[in-house]
Amino acid sequence: MSTTDQFGELLEAYALGALDAPERAALEAHLAGCAECTQAVAEARWLVSQLAYSAPDAAPSDMLRGRLLQIVRAEAASHRAVTPASKSPVPFWMWAAVAALLIAAVYSAWDARRLQNQVRDIHNRAVAELAKREKIEQELTEVRREATILADPASVKIALATNDPQLVPLQAQWHAALGIVVTGQKIPQPPSNRVLQLWLIPKAPGLKPIPSQLVRPDANGNFVLLVATPPEQMANTKALAVTEEPAGGSPQPTSTPKWVGAIT
Amino acid sequence: MFLAAFIPKQSDEASRDSTLLHRLLQRDMRAFEQLYDRHSRLVYGLVFRIVHQAGTAEEIVQDVFLQLWRNAARYDTSRGPFLPWLLTMARNRALDTLRLKSERQRRREDQTEELPAICAAPAFEQQLDDKRRVSQIRDLLTSLEPQQKRAIELAYFEGLSHTEIAETLKEPLGTVKSWIRNGLNRLREGLQSAT
Repeated sequence: MSTTDQFGELLEAYALGALDAPERAALEAHLAGCAECTQAVAEARWLVSQLAYSAPDAAPSDMLRGRLLQIVRAEAASHRAVTPASKSPVPFWMWAAVAALLIAAVYSAWDARRLQNQVRDIHNRAVAELAKREKIEQELTEVRREATILADPASVKIALATNDPQLVPLQAQWHAALGIVVTGQKIPQPPSNRVLQLWLIPKAPGLKPIPSQLVRPDANGNFVLLVATPPEQMANTKALAVTEEPAGGSPQPTSTPKWVGAIT
Repeated sequence: MFLAAFIPKQSDEASRDSTLLHRLLQRDMRAFEQLYDRHSRLVYGLVFRIVHQAGTAEEIVQDVFLQLWRNAARYDTSRGPFLPWLLTMARNRALDTLRLKSERQRRREDQTEELPAICAAPAFEQQLDDKRRVSQIRDLLTSLEPQQKRAIELAYFEGLSHTEIAETLKEPLGTVKSWIRNGLNRLREGLQSAT
């Protein structure tokens, strides 16, 4: 087996980032002198990148799009504002004037650069502050929504009971217009490669549970899960359930529900 | 220049990206907007699958697209096709967020680079729109042995090494290596035979 053949077996795992340190170091030393394997690694990266298509479909919020375009628009405007102006021609025989103009031009360029840097710094700070504020506003909006759902008498309370004596029940409140809030306290964290997943159990017989959002309790075992847009209406839903699923969630439950609560 | 590598070739999809990237170099905001609209959903889906938090995922997606906007002129021709490169950058950022400053982070080959290394599309690559590519890749992964699929997912989405996967699955290290190698080989063969 040639050296290239020997390392060929490691290329995909290298592109995947799965090699342990000794194998990685040996392969990188080989790659430094092997064009064939370097090309093969680039193709392996392409293959690995295709795994992204297996991630569950999910869409970012419209707020992210708006925020990004706002930043980009501001930066584009700043870029246009600092485009340097052209210089005037100078007669060839006026050496003294040329020297003076050169000095003036150098000073102007330096001054323009200084101003440009100041403008950029101010702009960057403004953009960062704006992004921070929008993030806080977004979080506030979610918290307000959760608070409204929890406080509004129109919300239907759903107690999610458990058969496991080690666990405490979960509480859910479903507001027909604002969504569902599920809260848990002192909930043991699932293993690092597992998450909790909420399911809506349809009333109609024969229909499968409808997957909803994923959550992991924090270090203290607390969580608040907001489902702003439930995948089914309350009138068509018989119960809520929570299962433990592999990270990333499942299209159908793969384990027995740890908590179930009927909607009355 | 990097963008020259995106001037292709056979497919409308790549050609559209190429045109938009040329315009991006001219600081064309509309081009940026269209690139975002074309690819943000796929990028966000990948990042969310890794970090599991919507807010964190959006911050990472924002960083990735701002990096694209701010550094378009720094790309060079060797960086290969655009979308795989963008996905690689998004995955790296998401895993970095998970593993920040940990020993594990240093394992990944691209960790020290601001921009990810090149991806080269193989000769058999067939350009598909996102919907058909999603269906194709999911079908191929479903056709793998469950252990092969699980091991590959732990490496790709969780950033685990061979040894860490073996510990997680409580299987011998050699077995895990075989699952990943054979699984990725089957994935490649599946993509190749589909052309």
